[in-house]
Amino acid sequence: MIDTVTKNYGIDNEFVSYQVTYVNSNRVKSVPLDEANTDYQAIQEWIAEGGVVIDNGGGE
Amino acid sequence: MSYIGSKPADAVLETDDITDGVITTSKLADNSVTTAKTSYFDAPFRNIIINGDYSIFQRGDTVTGVTDQVYSAPDRWKTQIFSTAVFTISKSTDVPSGQGFASSCKWDCTTANASPSATTFMIHEQRIEGQNIQYLEYGTSSAKSLTASFWVKSNKTGAYTVGLYSVDGSRHIESSYTISTANTWEKKIITFAGDTAGTINNDNGEGLRLWFHLGAGSNWSSGTHATTWSDYAQADVLVDNQVNLADSTSNEWLVTGVQLEAGTTASDFEFLPYDVNLRRCYRYYWGWWDKADAGVNATAGGLAVMYTSAILYVSGFFPVTMRATPSLDQASGTNYYTFYRNGAADNFDDFTLQGSGRTNKNGYEMNNSTDISGTAGQAGFIRCNNVNAYIFFDAEL
Repeated sequence: MIDTVTKNYGIDNEFVSYQVTYVNSNRVKSVPLDEANTDYQAIQEWIAEGGVVIDNGGGE
Repeated sequence: MSYIGSKPADAVLETDDITDGVITTSKLADNSVTTAKTSYFDAPFRNIIINGDYSIFQRGDTVTGVTDQVYSAPDRWKTQIFSTAVFTISKSTDVPSGQGFASSCKWDCTTANASPSATTFMIHEQRIEGQNIQYLEYGTSSAKSLTASFWVKSNKTGAYTVGLYSVDGSRHIESSYTISTANTWEKKIITFAGDTAGTINNDNGEGLRLWFHLGAGSNWSSGTHATTWSDYAQADVLVDNQVNLADSTSNEWLVTGVQLEAGTTASDFEFLPYDVNLRRCYRYYWGWWDKADAGVNATAGGLAVMYTSAILYVSGFFPVTMRATPSLDQASGTNYYTFYRNGAADNFDDFTLQGSGRTNKNGYEMNNSTDISGTAGQAGFIRCNNVNAYIFFDAEL
């Protein structure tokens, strides 16, 4: 079960992937922005159900 | 036998009309025996299921505490548990005797749920890529039947549901099998009609799902068990009196030799070499090391370079083209990974995947910019540094 979703930014400060943590787990997934990726699909469902993505901005 | 060698009149040939050795290969014209005269679809890779013999467990041979909808232990097999019940999913050497199988998949109930709520479900399933099964010709009058065969064993006798679900057209067909004798391997064969009104998109998404139901709440059984292809209705999935595998911690369910093939006949299980089976699984899940090989200052990872004094970059290629751009699936923890460079080591906790085309179906690019410091331009290598650490790339369906 998804706990948090945070936007990842690349060296050019562009949004490149999501960082996902899970409840009661040390598992972390970095999820690409690919509609064929089922983790990406799960994030979109999570957002549709009210999940809020953490956006700390770029700045590397 | 006088008519052998000349054109016979219409007559019924009996088994003993042709003795062994009378019809030799040379007496058959080239290409005279076609698949139309074989009892099954005899093409290589006729088994649509990947890892049907449960030989590949990249995620570990035993996964405890399974309570979610995840790929737990065996490659390509998804566990769907929506229940207070908890299971251990493992690779077992308990197999049907004399069939050639070396392993099976075992569901072992560790926390029971004897009174499931209406929404509860427990499913063992494989999702099949749509572009692999276009030859089934779903949605046409030529839609091919599919025959599922498998070996199954449980202490829980009774009725179980197995079926096919097509996500593109939102259609399904269900059937059932009965475990007649407790704790005894039984082979089951079930033929499903082709879906002349269905849809399987020719793409890398899910085209078809073979699912084994191990118990569910009333939302899954309040309708009529759908034994013909029909628009999907959750209420029509389960057979009456479906076993609840979660009603006791004494319960277990084992399965192996799962084959799904075109036609109405079950052929012998199609054993593939281990390496072929493994590479087929790599299309969906591949990692730097198997979980069982993790350790402190242990298994090699990838080569890496300090892009700046504070950003470590790693890139590499997958052994096969993956189904889609994969997620980076990793364990995160203090000093789980080590970067060795310039005669020294620097520990860090996890990686961030660089998407947007840099990571794609063929290769990956990832970095750490939170735990690392060093001299820009220095190269080195990554090692696993914790028994719980893993780095996988996940493109499962």
